[in-house]
Amino acid sequence: MSAPAAASRAEARRGPFPWDLLGVVVLAIIAAFTPDLLRFVFDRASVSYLSIASNALSLAILALSWDMLARTGNLSLAHAAFYGAGAYTTALLVKHADVPLWLGIPLGGVVAVAFALLLGSFTLRLRGIYFAIATLAFAEVLKSVVHHAPTDFAGGNAGMNVPALFRPVFIAGEMERWEVAYMRNEAYFYVYAGLLVATVLASILLQRSRLRHAMTAMRTNEEVAGVMGVRATRVKLLAFTLSSAFVGMLGAVEAHRVGSVLPEQSFSVATTVLALVTPIFGGLYTTLGPIVGAFGLSSVQELLRRTFADGYLIGYGVVLVLTILFMPRGVVGTLGTFFRRRRKGAQR
Amino acid sequence: MDLNLLAQALVSGILAAGLYALVSVGLALAIGVIGIVNFAHGEFFMIGAFLAYQLFVSFGIDPVWSLLLVAPALGLIGALIYTSTIRFVLKAPELNQMLLTFGIGIILTNMALLIWGGDPRTIAGIAYRSIGYQVGGVSIGLVPLASFVISFTLVLGLYWMLARTPIGRAMRAVAQNRTGAALVGLEVNRVYLVAFALSAALAGIGGVMIAVIQSPTPGVGLAFTLKAFAIVVVAGLGNIRGVLFASLFVAISESLVATLVPNGDTLRNAVFFAIIFAVLVWRSRRVA
Amino acid sequence: MSVVLTAKGLSKRFGGLAAVDDVSFEVEQGEIFAIIGPNGAGKTTTLNLVSGLLVPTAGSVTLHGRDLTTLTAAERCHAGLGRAFQVVQPFPEMTVRENVLVGAMFGTPGISRADAERRADHALEVTGTTNLAERDAEELTLMEEKRLEIARALATAPTVLLLDEVMAGLRPAEARDAVRLVRSVRDEGVTVVFIEHVMPVVRDLADRVLVMDYGKVLTEGRYADVTKDQRVIEAYLGRDDDAPPTDVAAAAAPAGASGDAAEDEA
Repeated sequence: MSAPAAASRAEARRGPFPWDLLGVVVLAIIAAFTPDLLRFVFDRASVSYLSIASNALSLAILALSWDMLARTGNLSLAHAAFYGAGAYTTALLVKHADVPLWLGIPLGGVVAVAFALLLGSFTLRLRGIYFAIATLAFAEVLKSVVHHAPTDFAGGNAGMNVPALFRPVFIAGEMERWEVAYMRNEAYFYVYAGLLVATVLASILLQRSRLRHAMTAMRTNEEVAGVMGVRATRVKLLAFTLSSAFVGMLGAVEAHRVGSVLPEQSFSVATTVLALVTPIFGGLYTTLGPIVGAFGLSSVQELLRRTFADGYLIGYGVVLVLTILFMPRGVVGTLGTFFRRRRKGAQR
Repeated sequence: MDLNLLAQALVSGILAAGLYALVSVGLALAIGVIGIVNFAHGEFFMIGAFLAYQLFVSFGIDPVWSLLLVAPALGLIGALIYTSTIRFVLKAPELNQMLLTFGIGIILTNMALLIWGGDPRTIAGIAYRSIGYQVGGVSIGLVPLASFVISFTLVLGLYWMLARTPIGRAMRAVAQNRTGAALVGLEVNRVYLVAFALSAALAGIGGVMIAVIQSPTPGVGLAFTLKAFAIVVVAGLGNIRGVLFASLFVAISESLVATLVPNGDTLRNAVFFAIIFAVLVWRSRRVA
Repeated sequence: MSVVLTAKGLSKRFGGLAAVDDVSFEVEQGEIFAIIGPNGAGKTTTLNLVSGLLVPTAGSVTLHGRDLTTLTAAERCHAGLGRAFQVVQPFPEMTVRENVLVGAMFGTPGISRADAERRADHALEVTGTTNLAERDAEELTLMEEKRLEIARALATAPTVLLLDEVMAGLRPAEARDAVRLVRSVRDEGVTVVFIEHVMPVVRDLADRVLVMDYGKVLTEGRYADVTKDQRVIEAYLGRDDDAPPTDVAAAAAPAGASGDAAEDEA
């Protein structure tokens, strides 16, 4: 047996060094200091930078949660449905029930999971393109249903207002005006960071467990996975559950941050597009890929938005097309192959 | 129930089916012959509509004449898109193809939004739009009738072409067996190019008609992509001949719901999606 | 000897077409059982019905007296049915060992990680793929892929292993290795059911042979007997356009007479 093989065998017994978990800790520490750092560097401009940073975190949650389902080989076009379900859950709670604002976030996740399990159990046998079209149709039906629900219940076309989670108070003489906005954005930033850390942990646990092998097997060929004992139905529904739970909570948080829910906005196809373009750009079926994709695309989007006020979505389309044509394995996949080749070359 | 209303709904459904068939048959051509699930198909339709609008606004060209200009223009755009992108993913996984065309769709929609904005655009002041006929209590507009006749003729023309002409036979040969077709000397790539251009041109013609029938926004592209998918899915993916019947089924269902269900007009889209979802799920359960 | 696997009245219709029509057979503990027949006879469909990839229109499958008919493929795997495919499909993003580990981890519910690793290593050893363990599954030759395919199936700890044309595409020397491989699988105590086109392989391996044609069972028995059966010869010769010529020759010739040629073949 060759030396590296023996080494990796020994490593398998001890367990490899947990780089991934270390990464989460580093990510959390960076996130903890980001608001103060931004404020130190940009002063009052940090208000908008914080907001941009929150958007990047939000995109990362969206993308990573989508990827967790994609790992089973099911590229869903229903992510907007789970996002919207979360958003509308918290909005409806605020409107019709006298409960703490925060409750809408976990419940948003729960309702999203309920819809995901419904969709999942209907689409168990659909593969590839058929699955994609069916999930898109499901999301659009849900949008229509919300749209046409009685107006005094769900607000119809005009949607509903959702109160902010945070309302820092301006204290004259002790702070400047912009600091109120800073405090609000800082609070949201921490919520997004916390949600992202939770999503990343879930993703890492998946990747470290034997479920990773089950998902890879299903993605390659569900029949083969089946005769090897992988209970595809269970794994798929679990992936649907995890995937929708996080995006449902994200939808709820964003409803509070934006201040309203609307059928067209909360169930927007654009949400689905972002959810799938980001991991494809960053690298599918990994924890790192969607996060790299989210930070990469957020930066690109900011640059585009500053250059062209309108039509920056064109940029997303271009990124998607170029990625499929030239980098079908995404940033992380392409770099991974590159380094692996180099290492192999060095061994020889 | 008001029988007149029912008859009106049926007639409206049948008339709408022509346009739906025209757009869907192009999508079925792309799927059946090239094997490309084209999520940007409705955008060709949308571009056709806005080209007709622009030709009218800028040069005062009547949409009837635009038909002759827009069809080759869209054929050219289709050929360009095929040559610059689609060609390279013919052997890639199905989902990559889908995502590529999805990306192309996003680019085209947002370019249209940039150029024409998000508001509905109307081709104003065409005399023939208000012409209509009364047949036994059912009113039939000249424009929907003409669009039905043109669409129907074109779809039948396509069927004829597939059955009788050399290029049509080549398309069917390629659709049935790619490697086999290559072996007997068909230039598969050229057949694909023609099929894709034709598919885009048919959608473009449909777009010109919608510009007269409605006041479209750039969002009409995605809407018609999805309508076309509903029809193609009902017909069976890639089944070109089934499209005509599937169009009738889907269009009449839509029209009945819009007419007979209170407030149903706004539910049109839901009908399509519900049909797509139900048919896909039902088929998947039946097969195994 | 006791019966481990029973198929009773298995039928599968696709639309109006009966791909498999009232197929019954019994496989005994520890034997190597071959299913042969011309192309399109319904062999692979039969295997799919047994392993749970297709739901039969009628009929039942029993393993160790337990009715499997309503179980999914995964549940049948847990019950002790292994399956290797004709078109080998290794999971490309994994090493050979990880591929085998999938079978070991999921083939037995509740197995510990350590036990799964031991079982995977054992399967690698039996199939002679230990030296490939750390290679990427994408980099294998056809013969290596076939070994991997059997190793994966073996790692699920089957009592009955279903093999679909493992010899297809192999060179004669490789086919000899494959024959040895199947024997060593049987020596592990695993009952083997296999589909095969290459007749000398069937002759060398099979304890009993089931012959199918047009979705039906034509006959069943020892190799030497069924190959003398006039109906079997006709089934192969009568449709020589869809069976490879070597098969026709081997099937048509009396078993003993083709000895030398067969040695080259297998």
